[in-house]
Amino acid sequence: MSTLGHRGSPRRRLFAGLVFLLPNILGFAAFTLVPLVMSFGIAFTDWDTLRHNIFRRESLRFVGFENFSWLFHHPDFLHYLGNTFFMMLGLPFAIAGSLGAALLLTRVSHRPVARRGAFIVATLLLTGSGLLLRMGGMGQAGVWCIFGVLAAGSLVAGVLTGGSVYRTLFYLPNFTAGVATFVLWKKLYNPQTGPINAGLAPVLDGFAAVVRSVPAVFSWGLPLACALLATGVSLWQLWRLRQHWDDASAGAVAVITGLAMLALPQVFQLRWLGLSPGLALGLAAAGVTVAAVVILRRPRRWGPVCALDTGLSAEIALALGLVPLLLLFAVGVAWGPELPAAAVAGLTPPNWLGDYDWAKPAIMGMGLWAAIGSNNMILYLAGLSNIPPELYEAADMDGASSLQRFWHITWPQLAPVTFFIGVMGIIYGLQGGFEMARVMTMGGPAGSTTTLSYFIYIEGFETGRLGYASAAAWVLFALVFILSLLNFRFGNRSAND
Amino acid sequence: MTEPARNSPYQAPRSGPGLSLLLAVLSLLMIAPFVWMLLTSFKSLAESGDPEWLPGAVRWSNYPEVFKVIPFLRFAANSLVVAGWVTILQVFTSALAAFSFSRLEWPGRDRVFFLYLGTMMLPGLVTLIPTFQLMVRLDLVDTYAGLVLPAAFGAFGTFLLRQFMMGIPRALDEAAEIDGASKWQIFWDVILPLSRPGLVTLAIFTYMGNFQSFFWPLVMMKSVDKFPLPVGLMFFDTEHGQATHLLMAAVTMSVVPLIIIFVLLQKQLIRGIQLGGVKG
Repeated sequence: MSTLGHRGSPRRRLFAGLVFLLPNILGFAAFTLVPLVMSFGIAFTDWDTLRHNIFRRESLRFVGFENFSWLFHHPDFLHYLGNTFFMMLGLPFAIAGSLGAALLLTRVSHRPVARRGAFIVATLLLTGSGLLLRMGGMGQAGVWCIFGVLAAGSLVAGVLTGGSVYRTLFYLPNFTAGVATFVLWKKLYNPQTGPINAGLAPVLDGFAAVVRSVPAVFSWGLPLACALLATGVSLWQLWRLRQHWDDASAGAVAVITGLAMLALPQVFQLRWLGLSPGLALGLAAAGVTVAAVVILRRPRRWGPVCALDTGLSAEIALALGLVPLLLLFAVGVAWGPELPAAAVAGLTPPNWLGDYDWAKPAIMGMGLWAAIGSNNMILYLAGLSNIPPELYEAADMDGASSLQRFWHITWPQLAPVTFFIGVMGIIYGLQGGFEMARVMTMGGPAGSTTTLSYFIYIEGFETGRLGYASAAAWVLFALVFILSLLNFRFGNRSAND
Repeated sequence: MTEPARNSPYQAPRSGPGLSLLLAVLSLLMIAPFVWMLLTSFKSLAESGDPEWLPGAVRWSNYPEVFKVIPFLRFAANSLVVAGWVTILQVFTSALAAFSFSRLEWPGRDRVFFLYLGTMMLPGLVTLIPTFQLMVRLDLVDTYAGLVLPAAFGAFGTFLLRQFMMGIPRALDEAAEIDGASKWQIFWDVILPLSRPGLVTLAIFTYMGNFQSFFWPLVMMKSVDKFPLPVGLMFFDTEHGQATHLLMAAVTMSVVPLIIIFVLLQKQLIRGIQLGGVKG
């Protein structure tokens, strides 16, 4: 086969190839490669713009690993690292949301009927709502009226266009995400004037009234029920893990981390119940140890832990299984054991971005809004349409329920997509949080929303300690690199078939 | 998935009215913030703190007012121009590199490609500080060039276009070569026109990404009249954040064009996402 460029000597071909490459590679070298090398150098110096600038030229000193050791002895840095990881807890929710949205969207009838008619109808409805708006003075009823009209409009348009309107609407928050939407959300979260708290107040009042009307059993019954639910879900996940032991592609490491992750919400639930943290931690540690021993010294007939190709990757199943647990965990952390007592006294909506404990969940909530209809949803949609229909036909013949169809066909078939999304999400999550922190909270309150990227910005551009900032950036790079390696090691088989 | 596959297992329409209703409610939740934004942008200052969603009377004058408070058009123009230059450079150099990686056979090509691809994993934060110092040395701080250059080169565009060019039949450029076309002619006259959808996709991605970019302009730009829109909006928020109604008018003016662009170009975008994601 004569391919292009096979003429001429290897040398000539190399020359031609490089000439085409040159503009891009040169720019890349100048603005990425050179800074990369410089960054590595700076991380080992004491470069501080207060002492090394155009007015004061002290010579840079090589300080070895001092910057790195400062970082890890600095409680703030560990705090910010913890913040970064906390923010990434939103990832399973985002993945679950994207998958859910994709599943819903594929279920809508795909036959577009009279596309043009749909748009005309939708436009008419929108115009109608606009007219209502102009009339003004209709009060709160007008809002509901407009919402109703909009809902009807999107319903009609959705049915008639085969769901693509919904896809567009779901995708919009992601596409527009940026400083503008962050500013918008800052206003939405405003505790006095924002619509979120305005909407939340009556709900909470109603809730408090309900709490007051039920007997005192409630005050210990609710946490207990939540803890039992969480335990149940955990046990169920453990059982599932055991079921999928052999085709779990992620191997022993993933299993052990998964178990440790499972233990975490339990710890919080125990704390919520008012047990001492030491006891809770002890229990969790014992559980993890037992699980680890069981895995490492498991009977031979259970087969290898790291194993086969297809099927469910355990850590992802765990991540999604964690969703209900994390939900409980969020509730538990937010209100703690005082919830029932507080509810009796009357609940007030949180001060969102101004509150140390609520600022992170608030930003995560906004992130979720932007992440559900993201590229991940599009990838899931593509993944769903690539599942061979024969699989479902076979399952139907075996009389599988829709839940079984999901667990045994859809979910394993989507595993490569989920893996790709998860890994990319982790890599970008580690680097994220700067824009939200800068626009919405300035990293506060009390450093609650300062992530690694915001810390690097502060050190690099405000306090001017370039050595520390570069060292922090390299710590970040190391984390990303390790995760990319894991991706390459475990993801390659299933994701790049 | 521009059009859902015909053989999709879910095609059997089990979509009852309940499903449509659920989807409609969910999509309303997704756009509710935008609705609030739009409604608030028509309020007066006194009304802007009310829980009431509707303005008492529609105040169109908020929009001209924004132009008086901040140089909004100037910010927008800055963003448009900077993103435009980045896009032109990015698309052109990426197309050249992608041609080299997909059509020319040279020793070590694939190894170089995967090495280059690996740099996509590089966190931008690592190079941020030295790049800024580089810009200080090159005297490019507070210039448009300083915004454009660092953003204009990278592996992503090359990767995306290579994926696209791999799908163009070889027979076409072989025929051109037999007719005696030079490599440049093959690139310019054969491959480039055939790659148009890919180029458009990359252009949209690059343009949108840079139109929204915030971190780099924030540290690079010192003079207000050179701020791109995101930095300008943040500036507006910190300076006049109490004027929620004006702020929302400005936010509306920055978001609505994006919505329009998205609705118009979603087919290309979705194809690009799948090209860059699934086959990665």
